[in-house]
Amino acid sequence: MWSTAREIAAGDLVIIWLTRDLVQPLIITPGKDFNSKFGHYRHADLVGIPYGSKVASRTGKGFIHVLRPTPELWTMALPHRTQILYLADIAFITSHLNIKRGSRVIEAGTGSGSFSHSVARTVGSIGHLWSYEFHEVRASKAREEFARHGMNDIVTLTHRNVCKDGFTVTDAVDAVFLDLPAPWEAVEHAKVALRKDRTTRICCFSPCMEQVMRTVNALNDAGFTEITMYETLLRPIDVSHVPVLQPVGEISEKLKQAERKREDKRLKQIAAGRQSTSKRKREDEGTPVKDQTIMEEAAEEAAGGSKRIKTDDEDGAPLDAVPTPAMDLDPHEESDAALPTTVASPPAPSPSPIAPKKISVSKVMPEVRGHTSYLTFASLQPFEPPAEPAPSAAAAMLAPKPKP
Amino acid sequence: MIFAMTSHDASSLQELDSRDVTIQSGDLVLLRLPNGDVKGVKVEKNSTVAVGRLGSFHANELIGQPYGLTYEMANKILKAVPPRTLQEVEDTEATNELINDGEFVQPLTIDEIEKLKASGVHVSDMIKMQIEQHANYSLKTEYSKEKYKKRKEEKYSKSFTTIEPTLFNVCEYWFNKDRARIRDIRVDSLAQMLNLANIRPGGRYLVVDDASGLVVAGILERMGGEGRLLTICDTDSPPAYPVVANMNFKPHVTSGVLVSLNWATSEEDYIPIIPPSDVPPDQIRSERQKSRLNKRKAVTDLLTRTRDELFSGEFDSLVVASEYDPWSILQKLIPYVAGSGSVVVHSPHLQILADLQTQMRTTSQFLSPTITEPWLRRYQILPGRTHPTMNTSGSGGFILHAIKIYDDPNASAITFPRRTKPKKAKTEHEGIELFLHDAWLGPWYIGVRRIQRRVALKSPMSPIVLQRHSCMVFVYIFERNLHYVHAMSAGLLSRESRMRAMSRSGVNTFGREVYNQLIVQCALAANLALQGQL
Ligand SMILES: C[S@@+](CC[C@H](N)C(=O)[O-])C[C@H]1O[C@@H](n2cnc3c(N)ncnc32)[C@H](O)[C@@H]1O
Repeated sequence: MWSTAREIAAGDLVIIWLTRDLVQPLIITPGKDFNSKFGHYRHADLVGIPYGSKVASRTGKGFIHVLRPTPELWTMALPHRTQILYLADIAFITSHLNIKRGSRVIEAGTGSGSFSHSVARTVGSIGHLWSYEFHEVRASKAREEFARHGMNDIVTLTHRNVCKDGFTVTDAVDAVFLDLPAPWEAVEHAKVALRKDRTTRICCFSPCMEQVMRTVNALNDAGFTEITMYETLLRPIDVSHVPVLQPVGEISEKLKQAERKREDKRLKQIAAGRQSTSKRKREDEGTPVKDQTIMEEAAEEAAGGSKRIKTDDEDGAPLDAVPTPAMDLDPHEESDAALPTTVASPPAPSPSPIAPKKISVSKVMPEVRGHTSYLTFASLQPFEPPAEPAPSAAAAMLAPKPKP
Repeated sequence: MIFAMTSHDASSLQELDSRDVTIQSGDLVLLRLPNGDVKGVKVEKNSTVAVGRLGSFHANELIGQPYGLTYEMANKILKAVPPRTLQEVEDTEATNELINDGEFVQPLTIDEIEKLKASGVHVSDMIKMQIEQHANYSLKTEYSKEKYKKRKEEKYSKSFTTIEPTLFNVCEYWFNKDRARIRDIRVDSLAQMLNLANIRPGGRYLVVDDASGLVVAGILERMGGEGRLLTICDTDSPPAYPVVANMNFKPHVTSGVLVSLNWATSEEDYIPIIPPSDVPPDQIRSERQKSRLNKRKAVTDLLTRTRDELFSGEFDSLVVASEYDPWSILQKLIPYVAGSGSVVVHSPHLQILADLQTQMRTTSQFLSPTITEPWLRRYQILPGRTHPTMNTSGSGGFILHAIKIYDDPNASAITFPRRTKPKKAKTEHEGIELFLHDAWLGPWYIGVRRIQRRVALKSPMSPIVLQRHSCMVFVYIFERNLHYVHAMSAGLLSRESRMRAMSRSGVNTFGREVYNQLIVQCALAANLALQGQL
């Protein structure tokens, strides 16, 4: 399908990975430039470098990754002409339909070719995919694409309405995949196309339950059995690297410390109040209610204190360790030092003095796809109802048990 | 243009198959029993196969038969019967109101049943007799009849179905039997791994499989005898991959493809301790010694060749499902993976992969390591009784995928000035999501779901979720005191009609009273658009 050489050559289709959400195909055409907000690149400069290279922009600012196309990357990069299938559904359908090297497969409609590329890769050059699309423009765009991707010997694309006119092959394929609004209209045609000398399989891909019900009836009427249905999704997981969580014991110590400090201050102030008969600066500030101020200060200190415990141990202070104004500007801090306090003892047993350990934590991404479609599967067994009493195979088997 | 296979085509096609289309002597065959259990039996020519309480049959009865057929068993003879279709129990008014489960009168005694069985009466006849004699039967409704019949049939039927050992079926069988031995790799997980690893005929893959060979079996099946699969194992002798035995592969699928090293022999500075095999001819005393020496030489040669092959690298992908530390595995094997090659690691435990991802990010050899969790739900499909199956597997493990890259240490990232977003942009919003399901197949269905998600409420028109094609209309209403009303329709609707639906619905309107109006308007717009299109 695509180049399997180690290095990129002129004319190759490559996948340019800018970011995870910005992946695009590019045909290497020396003489042309590739410009993006991630820098400027000359196609000619990409020729001869190994696939999978990180390439710096000519200005030195910005880079891209140049990758070898795979059907999975193609699904991320392809030009959308319709809704498309993604990895989870493609993989599951491929597996349930038992698609592998040499398989002969039908799909309708072609759409944007996301499923087609994956199937073509999986069946390989000795397998075959017959793909049908009734929308003329889509059909010819897909045909061009398949040709450009060297898939002509694997894929046959036909422009036709399969519900009306059926498929172009008879008794030939191992599996049929229908991604159409009304798959039940194509079920009988699918039966014609499927080979009858072994178990064959069909999958219909429909987003609505009502479609499934109609499809199931059609499959049942056509003699398909083992009808079953699945939904499959892929839940992306977000991993972050965070400092180990603080044990509440530390919080408890901080709270206790704050409490002791507050009590200390209260005693201090009572003492000061008794001792001084003259009025001092403090009253110029017009302290409203003493107790309330004290509470606020204590709260501020508690907050400041918690920051301090962290900052004491690590000097590459992370964001949350920025000293709060409350702590630095507290006018009482200095006076504390001058007075005998009950908090003279060393503070709470502080966490280990080395840089805090980090852990990896994970959760499901906040926004995930909740539904794509229902996958209805069925199979067609090679059972032939004995037209006339079959030449007694059973009787032949009645033969006496062989001696060892 | 009609393509029809000639008989010549058919026979040459069979050559390509990874297994015979029909059951062969020596095959391991999976049988589905009437109660749904799956049992593996060995089918050996001229032997008798016992199927538990069901009885036994002559193996020759199955040899040469295609897979997938259902048989009834009587006197060790098999009779192929038509596959079962869904019983049509269309919209009956029946309920199980009058039924007391388990209190059926059993008009036939056990003795009578045994006698009937012994006299070879067919199961369905036996059930008929049962029903006829069933005193209460006329009271039973259609619904319960079906249930009753099924229960009886399961109990007495001596039928079974052969299961084709496709990768899907074999994986499902092992998962149900002993998921720990295949390290929780469920069918959907395996399928995703094979696709992510870009497995194709002719590829070259490096694999660490401590999942009983399930991954190896999958890759071999997909390669179909073309390409190279080099596995690294933890044993002295060639690895046992028991799952591979279930696949009934033809020899060419494994023989030219699969080679193995172990964690010692795969080290570049490993020096094998090999007794000499190059003994001068005049010193060879016996034929036995000669063949022993030849064998020894073949083994050494294979080892040398396999080591050379590993060290020359350029493998298309590395797939790991191992009990050992995945980071140590990646460090050892990543040098042998080609640029742009895939790295796929499966683990039953998310924590293992989370740590691995963190470690992978410390080097510059991996592009975008990503962890995903496969999710699968199966439905029971029965007329009038379709619903998700009651028992479902909790986990199929987790998959990490990354792409191997060649770093350019001189490249520097472009930094974009951070766009300042409106303050509101990243807040949690309680919301209601109304979705009109299917405007053209049946009655409109309005589902109401409470959702909690992060939405960027930049503009009320910003599409939130683009659902797959179809005739759905989605109306999303995210509220925190009813800030915005989102309406969108997707799929078959053209862009124009979608816009029309949205503008008609009066985006940015406030208040609960617009809900109903909005829904109806959207549906109408959708319906009109659909009619126009179909
Ligand atoms: C959703 S797309 C298929 C997407 C495709 N599976 C992919 O992964 O890219 C459905 C396609 O089926 C085509 N289609 C619908 N009805 C059809 C019919 N009766 N015959 C042929 N093609 C049909 C549509 O034109 C559309 O392009």
